[in-house]
Amino acid sequence: MTSRTSKPAESRDVAGGGEPVVAPALEAGALENRPMAVLDMGASALRLVVAEAPRGEPPRVLEEASRAVALGKDAFTSGRLGAPTIEAALRALEGFRRIMDSYGVARYRAVATSAVREAVNRDTFLDRVRMRAGIDVEVIDGSEENRLTYMAVRAAFRGDETLAGDDSLLVEVGGGSADISFLRRGEPVYSGTYALGAIRMRQNLSSWHGSHEQRVRLFRRHVQNIIEDIRREMPLREAGQFVAIGGDARFTADHTVGEATDARVRRVDRERFLAFCEETAALDEDQLVERHRLPHARVETLAPALLVYQELLRETEALQVLVPEATLRAGLLLDMVRTAEGHGIEDFSKQVLASAAALGEKYRYDESHARHVAYLATRLFDELRSEHGLGERDRLLLEVAALLHDIGAFVSLRGHHKHGQYVLSVAEIFGLSREDMALISNVARYHRRATPNKSHLPYMSLDSEARVVVSKLAAILRVTNALDADHLQKVRDLRLLKTGDQWVLEVDGAGDLTIERLAALARADLLTEVFGRKLSFREAGGQA
Amino acid sequence: VKRHMRPHPERFLNRELSWLEFNRRVLEEAEDETNPLLERLKFAVIVASNLDEFFMVRVAALKNALAEGDVSPDLAGLTPLQQLERISEGAHGMVEELYATLHDGILAGLAPRGLRIISPGELEPSVRGSLARYHRDEVVPALTPLAIDAARPFPMLSGLSLNLAVLLAPAAEGEEERLAVVQVPGGLARLVRPTGAEGMVYVLLEDVIRAEIGALFPGQEIRDVAVFRVARDSELDLDDEGGTDFLQVIEEELKNRRRSGIVRLEVEDSISEPLLSLLSSLLDVGPEDVYRVRGPVDIRPLMQLVDLPPLEDLRDAPLKPQVTVKARGAELFELLEERDVVLHHPYDSFDPVVSLVSSAADDPNVLAIKQTLYRTSGRSPIVRALARAAEAGKQVTVLVELLARFDEESNIRWARRLEEAGCHVIYGIRGYKTHSKICLVVRRGRQGIRRYVHLGTGNYNDRTARLYTDFGMMTTDPEIGEDASSFFNALTGYSDPPGMKKLVMAPTQLRERVLRLIDRERERAQGGQATEIQAKMNSLVDAEIIQALYAAAGAGVRIRLNVRGICCLRPGVPGLSENIEVVSIVDRFLEHSRIFYFRNGGDEEVYLSSADWMPRNLDRRIELLFPVESTEGRQKVLRALEAAFRDDVKARVLQSDGRYRRGTRWAGEPPFRSQLELHREAVRAAERMRQAADVDLEPLAAPEG
Repeated sequence: MTSRTSKPAESRDVAGGGEPVVAPALEAGALENRPMAVLDMGASALRLVVAEAPRGEPPRVLEEASRAVALGKDAFTSGRLGAPTIEAALRALEGFRRIMDSYGVARYRAVATSAVREAVNRDTFLDRVRMRAGIDVEVIDGSEENRLTYMAVRAAFRGDETLAGDDSLLVEVGGGSADISFLRRGEPVYSGTYALGAIRMRQNLSSWHGSHEQRVRLFRRHVQNIIEDIRREMPLREAGQFVAIGGDARFTADHTVGEATDARVRRVDRERFLAFCEETAALDEDQLVERHRLPHARVETLAPALLVYQELLRETEALQVLVPEATLRAGLLLDMVRTAEGHGIEDFSKQVLASAAALGEKYRYDESHARHVAYLATRLFDELRSEHGLGERDRLLLEVAALLHDIGAFVSLRGHHKHGQYVLSVAEIFGLSREDMALISNVARYHRRATPNKSHLPYMSLDSEARVVVSKLAAILRVTNALDADHLQKVRDLRLLKTGDQWVLEVDGAGDLTIERLAALARADLLTEVFGRKLSFREAGGQA
Repeated sequence: VKRHMRPHPERFLNRELSWLEFNRRVLEEAEDETNPLLERLKFAVIVASNLDEFFMVRVAALKNALAEGDVSPDLAGLTPLQQLERISEGAHGMVEELYATLHDGILAGLAPRGLRIISPGELEPSVRGSLARYHRDEVVPALTPLAIDAARPFPMLSGLSLNLAVLLAPAAEGEEERLAVVQVPGGLARLVRPTGAEGMVYVLLEDVIRAEIGALFPGQEIRDVAVFRVARDSELDLDDEGGTDFLQVIEEELKNRRRSGIVRLEVEDSISEPLLSLLSSLLDVGPEDVYRVRGPVDIRPLMQLVDLPPLEDLRDAPLKPQVTVKARGAELFELLEERDVVLHHPYDSFDPVVSLVSSAADDPNVLAIKQTLYRTSGRSPIVRALARAAEAGKQVTVLVELLARFDEESNIRWARRLEEAGCHVIYGIRGYKTHSKICLVVRRGRQGIRRYVHLGTGNYNDRTARLYTDFGMMTTDPEIGEDASSFFNALTGYSDPPGMKKLVMAPTQLRERVLRLIDRERERAQGGQATEIQAKMNSLVDAEIIQALYAAAGAGVRIRLNVRGICCLRPGVPGLSENIEVVSIVDRFLEHSRIFYFRNGGDEEVYLSSADWMPRNLDRRIELLFPVESTEGRQKVLRALEAAFRDDVKARVLQSDGRYRRGTRWAGEPPFRSQLELHREAVRAAERMRQAADVDLEPLAAPEG
């Protein structure tokens, strides 16, 4: 498993690995003012962006490069990257490396998405990348991709109230999968990754011989089946706006409303968009090459991708398709600038919590109880700051775990902490990685009953650093959940008085707090174990 | 790729005949008595060497087509055979005129000044002795007489080599006369200055050999001796810059089927009929391909006489390139951050361009230099600067297009040196010739990364920059900088060809863009807006573009073209091209810039390019087109464009029959010779700059190279 040190927001220092950078004598300029680069290994192409971002300014792109490499074709058929593909990728990356060097790039972040993620030989592949091109590549999951793309989308819509107005469906059809988010007033509340990747769909049919029309019909049926599933997770019909991201969507905009000028968002009339999709579906690949003078590799994704956009668009009420100039690279860049300025995922806490709440609603959680526990837990977290030494990011994970600790009750009240752990471990919350979700699911699991134990497999599959974090956060959650034992939010606030080796939890409440006191003392077991302090209970203005 | 179009003789001029017309204009300069004698000599040599290339490339291609059985007419309606017939007719007349003016006009004029080419017999007896010694010691050891008979077939004569054909009496009674060939050694000077001769007296090497020819054939009766030369199919394609391309496809079979590969035989007109008929039958050359000349055969070596120091007054006074941008190093970079610089060579000096590269090499903040190099030499200061930059640890990428692949030895040497210095050298792009001229400097400044781009219509060659008219632009426009990076990434294979913002690249987009720009004028004209197209280039051949121009002209767009060389567009045809005017300028400098102007309803657009409107440039070359956007730069380019159309001294106007006539000179107006006017303007600009700067007048060191 990846360790917690590979935070998605982390970027690599070039000087750290690989061949040395050609860095001519420069004026003593601060490292952070040197150009930076982002690199993305997608299913059909490798892409590089070199940019600079003087402090406080948005990044300015210096150079973009891309090479078509069919990683996805290999990964989605045989599950393994073949030698010619690897060689092509290495060659492209060596070139990218030279481009980066020509700018004296100081920091970069290189990410790989589904194609590399799914390849069984990805580790040896990435090792060769490191050895030959001196580039460290990080494999990211769908939710991280979603978060980064969303950043780019938000930037493209900056100063534009469109998204804040109506509910929107945000769709990006990639090579391996489609990332779909549902935005309420501009904030993502549902998001998921679905098996609607253009290359994957095409590869699935690669051995199938039939007429072009039959092939399109098969595609469409597959897309419609998946959409059935999506409909259960998001209120597609409520989306009044449709935001299409990705190269194929931009291509459609080029051919319907003209090439992007300064407009960061192009608007395509619904019928016009659908008509273009229809026209494209009617042509086979050779005809598309002829019609648009595109390379074959480019055309292969076009028709399947447009089919997905088309079918999803029909699910919504949107009157136009918004095509922002937003890419994963743009998101990566913005994210690098943000982290360089000392920000982390917590900047997205609003979106993360909204998405968590949507998940809670789906599992019919007790919202008042959930929100109240989340409040008390973060209060206690803040009170313990000097003791636990954790950061803002962990606070956010605690908050999410507190919000969702009971969702397993949807399955059955009996053993609901275990059901909750399972649900959370597979759920998608905007902006949170799989590692984040693994951690949250463990914290939620330990909100009641047993404390962490070596015999618990999900717990043990975390690395040791993460296990410590789980223990600390679960310790806080156990106590604060107990403070709302009867789900009536009687405890309004709390303070922690740290006098000597005895800690006093002073609560501010209304009515009889006997149950809460007994429950909290019982659930202080882990807290005592983790922090080595006995806990006593006191009502503000009352007695212990 | 042959575009399948039916012939339209009323719409298109034949490109070969148009080329002959161009060479005729050069010949007119040789004939023009208002030109100084040595300038006339220079033009005469150019006419001859142009013809050599024309035969080896174009005539050879037509002969191949003929041998292949190709009877399809070109767009002008002429089959290969018809074209060859007309070429033969035109070239014969041209050669006759060339030698007439060479002897009766030029050499006759030079003789009174002491410059003479004489036969050994005319020398003083004392001088003749020294010539005999030279012959014995230097010439004879290099000679190999070859007898030709049934047992010894005709030797493979190398194309353009000079030979003596010797007719020998029959070996025995009843037999036939025999032929022997003596090649004139190419390693010895063609113009021999006999020691002890007074003044500028020269003897031709072939005459030195001829004078003693008997000694080579002891005991034989020599009946005739004549100098001859053959031109062969070069299997190369030439470009407007003297570079060469291998022809795309030459089928082996076709090559074998071809007779001898000889496309022209030149002989001295003193040759006897028996010798000529023996020679041409052995060489398998028909009478239409035989050119009898007054001699000397092959006048190219006369070029060296043009620079003889004592005859200063027989040359044009030099037009010195003006230095209008003096900034170097960091100052130059600062200047470019403030404004674009547009240079018109050779009126403006090429120094600022050299300065850009060498400043970049020496500037500690420069990270990378990327450049295309085509036709340059190892002695070029730009090549030296690039090596220096690489040695200083900068990333240097050089795309080198070698002159010709068979000439690799000498050309590749300096490219290897660049590699040794640490440059990343790319030896061309498979299938395409890199004709674009672009240099990109990436530099770190206080405001972050900045890119300095030089784009040009001419090569990074400080020598030709003194002889060819070319435009260059230096800019820090971020979009052009980004495009320049993308361009190099595509060329180096680091990236797939990108979409570009301001630059337009061939073979991917240039043709479409030009067609779209022309078409836009047509649409605006139909909408009643102000429209005009002006364009300057070396050759206009592309049928698709010519059709688009006709369509625009038909819609009322006024079109003025300045095409130095081949022009297949037929102007002034009623109902087709009355609105199109075509001029050509042949003067002291070789017109070489490509400029395109579109009125665009008042929102004028000015472009410069490395590409002519020829299928070759648009489809088989890597070329660039770029906009000139600074007000000052556009005015400068437009003034140059305008000057050509005002020229009433060296401009010729293309008529609808394909011939050229001098423009009308307006009574009362002083003559307007555009190249001199543009030079004057550059002098004035330099003067203004000196006054404005009020600097100390430090004399400039001689330019490098």
